[in-house]
Amino acid sequence: MTLPKITTNLPYEDFSTETDRTWVDWIHDMDDPKQNYLKPEALDDLTVIDASYGSIAGLFCSSILAEFGAEVIRVEPPEGDLAREFSPFGYKHQDTGLGYLVEARNKLHITANLATSEGQEVFRRLAAQADVVIETAAAGVMDGYGLSYRYLKDINPRLIYAAINTYGHFGPDAGCGKVSYDIIDQARSGVMAVTGEPVGPEGPQPWNIPTKEGSWMGWYAGGAWAAFGVLGALHYRHVTGEGQMVDVAPPEAELSFCDYHVAYYHTTGKIRGLVGAYDSAVFPYTIVKTKDSYSFIAGFSDVNWEGLTNIMGDPELRKKYPTIFDRLNPDFQPEIHKAIEAWSKNFTSQEVFEKVQDYTLNRRGPGVVATARMADVKDNFEDENWWERGVFDKGTDPVYGDLALQAPVWKMTGTPGRIKWVCRPIGADNEYIYQKYLGIGKTQLQEWKTKNIV
Amino acid sequence: MSREEYLNWTNKAFDASKIFAKPEALHGIRVLELATLILGPAVPDNLGLLGAEVIKVELPGAGDTMRSVTPYGTFWKNASIGQFAQNHSKYHLALDVRVSQGAEIFRRLAKKCDVVVENLRAGTMDRWGIGYEQLREINPGIIYIALNGFGQWGEYSVGRASYDAVAQTVSGLLATTGFPGRLPLKTGVFVGDYFGALQGTIGVMAALHHRDRTGHGQFIEFSQGEGLMRVLDWSWLYYYLEKYNRPQTGNRDLAICPSDVFSCQDAPVAVAAASNQEFQGLCTAMGKPELAKDARFSTISARLKDENAVALLAIIRDWAKTKTVAEVDALGSKHGFAASPILDAKDLYESPHMRARATVFEYEDPMYGKMVETCCPAKLCKTPGRIKWANKPVGLDNDFVLRKLLGLRTYQLKALAEQKVIGKWVENPPGRKPPADWDGKAGVIM
Repeated sequence: MTLPKITTNLPYEDFSTETDRTWVDWIHDMDDPKQNYLKPEALDDLTVIDASYGSIAGLFCSSILAEFGAEVIRVEPPEGDLAREFSPFGYKHQDTGLGYLVEARNKLHITANLATSEGQEVFRRLAAQADVVIETAAAGVMDGYGLSYRYLKDINPRLIYAAINTYGHFGPDAGCGKVSYDIIDQARSGVMAVTGEPVGPEGPQPWNIPTKEGSWMGWYAGGAWAAFGVLGALHYRHVTGEGQMVDVAPPEAELSFCDYHVAYYHTTGKIRGLVGAYDSAVFPYTIVKTKDSYSFIAGFSDVNWEGLTNIMGDPELRKKYPTIFDRLNPDFQPEIHKAIEAWSKNFTSQEVFEKVQDYTLNRRGPGVVATARMADVKDNFEDENWWERGVFDKGTDPVYGDLALQAPVWKMTGTPGRIKWVCRPIGADNEYIYQKYLGIGKTQLQEWKTKNIV
Repeated sequence: MSREEYLNWTNKAFDASKIFAKPEALHGIRVLELATLILGPAVPDNLGLLGAEVIKVELPGAGDTMRSVTPYGTFWKNASIGQFAQNHSKYHLALDVRVSQGAEIFRRLAKKCDVVVENLRAGTMDRWGIGYEQLREINPGIIYIALNGFGQWGEYSVGRASYDAVAQTVSGLLATTGFPGRLPLKTGVFVGDYFGALQGTIGVMAALHHRDRTGHGQFIEFSQGEGLMRVLDWSWLYYYLEKYNRPQTGNRDLAICPSDVFSCQDAPVAVAAASNQEFQGLCTAMGKPELAKDARFSTISARLKDENAVALLAIIRDWAKTKTVAEVDALGSKHGFAASPILDAKDLYESPHMRARATVFEYEDPMYGKMVETCCPAKLCKTPGRIKWANKPVGLDNDFVLRKLLGLRTYQLKALAEQKVIGKWVENPPGRKPPADWDGKAGVIM
């Protein structure tokens, strides 16, 4: 049987290296992050209450809204959010963990003890004036305080209420009351079940287990999907005037990044195990050792496989695995990986990159090969390109001093996001916010402080 | 009692059987897509889950490259399983925008759309006369998003292709994933694409809110490498403050302790307990309540110190070895710490919870029959997300789209087809055509 030839060349691209300077110059002028502060903000008509606790998912959701200009009011218990403790090795910068400092941008910080009737009343009155409420407690906790959406909708029908919790607020597992963290979200998402090194010829090793993504990806997935849900609900409110509840479970949010995970099981009855350096749908599309580091390298379709084996000077390898079906065969993948590595380890990642660019850009043969040198945190932070692109933002916070954070990810001609300040101490904005929204002054606040209400 | 009442209320408010009885949040928003693989097509897919009408423009014949990318080369009913995941409920138009008639049709469509999504190399659309500069002239309200690996400008934006794994490799995600001294681990799914697309979608939604207020559209630029750099936690800040170059730490979380994966008798289990109360619960469950008072572990900051964390995780590791996952899970519920098995695709597929939440979504497609896929994880009680139909063969909706939106007549459609400006699928490569048993009618609107 002759197998069909498959190409993965991007059909619209001509791979010419000539860049249209007119467009590049024009758009660079139009969306340069250096001009962000001169432009209007997309969401500066919104008031958001973020009552999340111990959850970067909630904080990331409100960070996105705050980057786009919403006035975000963080409501913490009097002792502060547990998330302020999340920090590598317990390192603190002015009593605040680094995990929190990154996701407190542009937010105002007040305290209110929601277990007290006064705290609940404060929350209700704030919610009555807010556009969005975000919370991350287990299903039923806010309801126990009389602060769930079913109560708040009666005092503010326009309210959009986002609940972010691992087990969700409906369905058979909702209300199970289980505690959760990012590792639980990742474990329940399906992503971990395919991420990790499969057992090699040396037999099972401690690292041959499902492995989490390095960062809090379960939490980010949940926070980002909640932000999208809130913005979708906002548009609906713009049309109809009605608010609604948005329920996001971070494992499901991360499951949405699992490409064909569920569909593959549905159509074939099979599951993928740990894929390690291999990929189930494109291979080679892999990480290989080089003389000085690691590199990603891909040459999957027949023509690109030809390109890769040409660069490697190994036509025998091409002939040994002639079709994509050979290269996607899990039995052959370790051998192919080994063969590429036997070649790549003779060169530095930069040399591999130069060889690939030379072949591709000078059209020394058919096929397009993609490669990239692995960059670590140090490499990237010290790379001028990312600073020029506005990926990082270094500034002076009135309280926390000189810090550098990752900036909003969108470059926009109209309403780009921005960072205005980094963080606020626990309850730092009590006077301002209680005054502004509730007409409650210093005297009352001081009395409440003694009663652990604020 | 009150929790039960609340759950009765939520289960009713979000009842999945009522999804199609409710309106859609983005009803009336029309999206024009000129994109391939995942990063581009997943943006309109996200918008479509919440009700936007999406017109997917592909090249006549071979169409989207993703039609070739499918797990282990499995073509199911002549379709790529990889193509389904980010192409739901779209209208499929196969149009060659590289020729002037095709570009003109694209411009006319863009005039009637709210959002344009593309993931081509910087400047390509502009060269074809359908870039943002040209489209905003005919539609000032247009929200135009361009997504790619390294952005529209800057040193790395020139002459480089990008894939999901390139983004993972250049961002630092790869360098911080996996076990110390082992292979830097690629996430087993295309996270740089799907997460990037979600970030892009959020940009579009913020721009839509601005347009709702002002009527103004805008251009949005998104780089997937930069998108992943945004979500590397405290890595940049800690490097800035202490020159700490974050390494791989396996499943151990350096900022939350304990938070790790441990091997039980039967399988691995994820466990976490950050607060003192949760940690005390874990110590009690392990039969070692005295650990919670041990000076090395009695406060959150003490537990996070490197040497203490290493010692503590070793104690938990030894304990977990003697248990099953189910036992640890049950102890977590009883004693108030976080514990969970690692779920795979089968677990999720069969989960009654996932079905009830319509996250694992079953529907009948006119062409492919029973489908089970992942659906919108953002549950909106009044305007729930939904899937209406699956990805279609190349060009299946040409006539419908061009008649409905541009009023083209039969003779015009014929002429465009003859000149190959519009077209349909090819037999080969596979992944383009309808299923073998297709009757020529199922799924065709007009």
